[in-house]
Amino acid sequence: MPDKFFFEGTEDKPQINFDPRNNLFEITGNSFPEESTNFYIPVLHWLDNYTKNPNESTHLICKIEYLNSLSAKFIFELFLILQKITSTGKTVRVSWYYNPNDDFIEEKGAEFKSALEIPFNLIPLN
Amino acid sequence: MDINTTFWFYDRIKTDNLCLLYNGIISDDITNKLIELSEFNISNVEGLSKMKKKASFLMAECFQNIIRHGEMITDLEKHHNNSFFLTRNWNDIYCIASGNLVVKKNIHNIENQMKTVNSLNKDELKELYLQVLEHNEISGKGGAGLGLIEMARKSGHKIQFVFEKFDESMSYFYNQILLHPDDSNKELSINHAPISDAISFHKKMQEESILVVQKGDFAQESILPVLKIVDNNLKSVFKNSSSKKKIFHIIVELLQNISKHGWKDQKISEGIILLGKSESNYTINTGNFIENDKVDALRERLQNLNDLSKDQLKDLYFSKLKERYIPEMKGAGIGLIDIARRITSPLVYNFTKIDARKSFVTIHIVA
Repeated sequence: MPDKFFFEGTEDKPQINFDPRNNLFEITGNSFPEESTNFYIPVLHWLDNYTKNPNESTHLICKIEYLNSLSAKFIFELFLILQKITSTGKTVRVSWYYNPNDDFIEEKGAEFKSALEIPFNLIPLN
Repeated sequence: MDINTTFWFYDRIKTDNLCLLYNGIISDDITNKLIELSEFNISNVEGLSKMKKKASFLMAECFQNIIRHGEMITDLEKHHNNSFFLTRNWNDIYCIASGNLVVKKNIHNIENQMKTVNSLNKDELKELYLQVLEHNEISGKGGAGLGLIEMARKSGHKIQFVFEKFDESMSYFYNQILLHPDDSNKELSINHAPISDAISFHKKMQEESILVVQKGDFAQESILPVLKIVDNNLKSVFKNSSSKKKIFHIIVELLQNISKHGWKDQKISEGIILLGKSESNYTINTGNFIENDKVDALRERLQNLNDLSKDQLKDLYFSKLKERYIPEMKGAGIGLIDIARRITSPLVYNFTKIDARKSFVTIHIVA
């Protein structure tokens, strides 16, 4: 089992906490790095490696406040990698949280959901 | 504001390294953000960073003056008639100006204070300062004196000031100070940025409902403080966080495009951004240089986006989203597509050839 992937998060980069041992997968905060590629490639590599021997069930929790267009592309890429888990017979699902006043994040979640084949729940925050 | 507004401002501040213009209500919140941005700007200019403390102090005094003089103005009037704030930097000179409404009966008093302070040399100012400290005030309006004296002492310059009649009962009070290391050419500085510039900027901003103009380096670390001001401004205008996010998003995408694809002069991607407000929309203008050989491709892409319906744009967006990642992917053009999906009228753009190597591109967006 790969070790955890952790990034603390900054003003323009999200906190990333992928912790297979505790079966916790979270992305939280803002995402509009200047170099999205440099930021997301290591995350994608880690996740790709994880899908080779994933937990019985993987639940990714996204609580994103803002994401720019290139981050959206990389996060979609990340969902596609997770989607591969379904072919191994194990399960994967995504919970996409949004503020009820925030169409921007809600719509982005709905777009992702429409383009994916894994359970993808849109959940309003209280 | 329309697409030509960008060049109107750019042309007048083109030799500035940095220029921030703000036309709006001066609240504590926005004051802190403006000072934070200006401090950031100062610390990035070689030779200026040692003046950071002085400059912050002077800005804080400016804002206090605005708030103090504004006490007699009703909230309704304040809401319709914005205050003005400016910081500019060129060479090693830093310029700070502000403008705000004052009631007619205060003008005489303020003018006298300004004249007194401007007539004194360094030692006399110090003496007056101590005297005021001891006796509390030189004016009927307590405190106003100390701030002015301190501004004059810290700047080492005469404070430039002008009253511009607004109506029968009020005038705009503009004042401007310069800061520079001791060995600068003082005469040259005054000619570079006369206070009449500040006044004409404010008038233009009022006429065209422009909230913020910023010219400078648009690398990510420089745009973060600008985004904070925008964010703060949007919060006060929109109750609905969706519209706020949309505007914020468009600005992020535009600035990051400039930073990534713009012409770089010594690694700096220079540009100008204007944020304006019309009755029901926000308007965003950007201007920056690009290499001549990129002009045709960009023009074609912008035209193509304008030709597509919202449904076609959506399809194009999804096809870009689903394209697999390739290492040399720079931005995949997804940013402009995303902007085009969210705006209410077509993108307006213009290219002006500057010289054999670069052109100036302006984009005007209504969202």
